[in-house]
Amino acid sequence: MATSKHYLRIEAGRTDAQYWQDIWRYRELFYFLAWRDILVRYKQTFIGIACALIRPFLTMVVFTIVFGRIAKLPSDGNAPYPILVFAAMLPWQFFASALSECSNSLIINANLISKVYFPRLVVPTSAVIVSYVDFLIFGLSLLSLMAWFNFLPSWRILTLPIFTLIAFAAAMGAGLWLAALNVKYRDFRYIVPFAVQFGLYISPVGFSSNVVPEKWRLLYSLNPMVGVIDGVRWVILGDGTEFYWLGFGVSTALVCSLLLSGINYFRSIERVFADVI
Amino acid sequence: MSDTIIRVENLSKKYQLRHAQAEGYTALRDFISDRARRLKSNFLSLSNRQPPTKEAFWALRDVSFEVNQGERIGVVARNGAGKSTLLKILSRITEPTTGFAEIKGRVASLLGVGTGFHPELPGRENIFLNGVILGMSRTEIHRKFDEIVAFPEVEKFLDTPVKRYSSGMYVRLAFAVAAHLEPEVLIVDEVLSVGDAAFQKKCLGKMSSISGEGRTVLFVSHNIAAVNALCSKSLLLSQGSILQIGATSTVTERYIFPSLRK
Repeated sequence: MATSKHYLRIEAGRTDAQYWQDIWRYRELFYFLAWRDILVRYKQTFIGIACALIRPFLTMVVFTIVFGRIAKLPSDGNAPYPILVFAAMLPWQFFASALSECSNSLIINANLISKVYFPRLVVPTSAVIVSYVDFLIFGLSLLSLMAWFNFLPSWRILTLPIFTLIAFAAAMGAGLWLAALNVKYRDFRYIVPFAVQFGLYISPVGFSSNVVPEKWRLLYSLNPMVGVIDGVRWVILGDGTEFYWLGFGVSTALVCSLLLSGINYFRSIERVFADVI
Repeated sequence: MSDTIIRVENLSKKYQLRHAQAEGYTALRDFISDRARRLKSNFLSLSNRQPPTKEAFWALRDVSFEVNQGERIGVVARNGAGKSTLLKILSRITEPTTGFAEIKGRVASLLGVGTGFHPELPGRENIFLNGVILGMSRTEIHRKFDEIVAFPEVEKFLDTPVKRYSSGMYVRLAFAVAAHLEPEVLIVDEVLSVGDAAFQKKCLGKMSSISGEGRTVLFVSHNIAAVNALCSKSLLLSQGSILQIGATSTVTERYIFPSLRK
């Protein structure tokens, strides 16, 4: 009976078998969802791009004044304080916006989910891509800030994609958990902005993680974004910053387990999304 | 040689109904307060409080039928009889609780009009978006683009955001995308009701020609005239089970006059 190349058997628990094949088959949907969101976001181009730039820029100014000038915290090596902050804002902003886009994506696309079949994993993943575009624009503005301060990056800038990938994994991992929980318990959406705001202060965005006392350093690395932010600083600020490998290892391992457990949890309740959303 | 394209066997779908709940979705605070309340009543051994009553509701129960290639099957039933659940299972949006269905071929389902249309985007972009959502590939859409645009007669408004479309234009464009899919099975759920008479006629014509090419159409509608015109065979659902399968005229008669039982 299975002679046709599109043979389909629908049965309870059956989706699992062909899931990853399906994701590959639906890759065009993935492009188009991301493309749609980017298009809508940058439709009024000026507002879209300005928004991606002004918010982190103002945050940077405030942090530089508060932490650099008033609290007089030291910078890493000889990097100007604004660049220290901006280098951390780059991955942080990406993580924060990816996380909130990702966790809301299922609810926003509820009508799609209740009307059409596709692997649901496509939706949160394509939501993260939109934040990635913001990230690229932001990266360009970081370059211009560095030019302004006559600050040249070293060869290490070539390793930036690795750290971007880790930030991506962290945002996806946490985002998948929240997206799935958001469908099940709707008041999770109130938790996300709070978590993001809170995270900004417990992550080393406004200050260098070198100011954290040595004995607390490992504990501090349990925040998955610590490894990423330290990494990006190490990449951009160049010499004069030492890299805390142990903490980075802990952070990265945590990010990986977050991602895997996120995918796992998402998959486990995915099949009831259409019924409860 | 049998050319059964859809085979459904003992398909059932159960939903849990919770009666003590006013909201349509669970909130975490309900979950927590519910737990806390239960804990408290356990502690004080007050068992007089009833937990929220749960009730199993079978939206579909032991539905079995077969559809051959090229057939146009009408599905008629009163509201809440399980039509939508059946279609949702066949289009893989939700899983059955028991039983199975086998489908040979690609399935495209049109359960809501303009699913995935983004109001801010113009018609042109929405055609691509909607087409991809319904399972077409990009090259396929490119190839058929002119045809899709000509069908609903909205060429002039291709670069207007669809939020400014009239509801008729919106539905026509959406149907045009779906009608140019080339699936082996097309599932259509009550989507023609908004178009005007001329367009409805055009759609019925399109669907007949689709099945003329050997494709199978599963057509759900409350519009008995449309079902009569399009489908040779129909099935009547009632409270989740099949009441009758057979020639459309007898089935629709029974649907309209349920008391005339033989």
